[in-house]
Amino acid sequence: MSQAHVSDRIEVDAKTANLAKVREFLHGAIKRSSLPAGDINKVVLAVDEAVANIIQHGYVGRDDGKVEVQIEADGSRFTIRILDSGISYDTAKGANANADLDLKSHISAGSKRGLGLFIMRKVMDEVQYSSREGQQNVLTLVKYIKAPA
Amino acid sequence: MREFEINLEQLSPEVTLIHVAGWLDAHTFEYMEQTVNNLFTEGKVRIAIDLSQVEYISSAGAGVFIGSLATAHERGGNIVLMNPTEPVKEVFDMLGLSQVFTFAQTKPAALTALKAAK
Repeated sequence: MSQAHVSDRIEVDAKTANLAKVREFLHGAIKRSSLPAGDINKVVLAVDEAVANIIQHGYVGRDDGKVEVQIEADGSRFTIRILDSGISYDTAKGANANADLDLKSHISAGSKRGLGLFIMRKVMDEVQYSSREGQQNVLTLVKYIKAPA
Repeated sequence: MREFEINLEQLSPEVTLIHVAGWLDAHTFEYMEQTVNNLFTEGKVRIAIDLSQVEYISSAGAGVFIGSLATAHERGGNIVLMNPTEPVKEVFDMLGLSQVFTFAQTKPAALTALKAAK
């Protein structure tokens, strides 16, 4: 099972109540993949942050939104694509921007903004975002699967 | 599995302990935030939070603690966190929060730490 190929998807209504469902789906997909146990919580967290951002910001003021999460994994990469039709990120501040955060001053000021993006970039090996007029927004998160030493 | 549960315990006239259980995510964080804000409104700014039953936390949950700590400090109080689980510790470490908060393992230790608040 070390080279397990996993392909799966889930679509949920864009409601925060569905975050637990997405996390459960991810746990199931990860179990069937070769992702090491030490990375499981991190990948679930990164995806949870991404989906929560879409629900809270991309679909703000709307209750008809959908979020689709697609998984493709092989022996070397665990790839998650998250698709939505909400407001796209301002890419100047968004997923493709440098998300280095001065956490210390951020935290001492009591600020909570940008933590989700910080986590995504910290945890995942690749974070790519694409948004084109008339098409769905696609956030791609990749975690490399390293062979055990 | 419990989705989310909060219970309050008065440890002393000045110190309130919040027991939290379940998932602290973008769906549930507002309950947590409301609970802490209610205590602040009552003038209770010395707060211990028991995290031993929190199975999952995301940045939305961590954000409540960050905001609460800033408010508590402004008002001469403090927030002490008790016994975070491994998944919670992992997120706190990632965000650098483990260095910012005071941690306690027992109620007497939490009381002592909170007595020291300004």
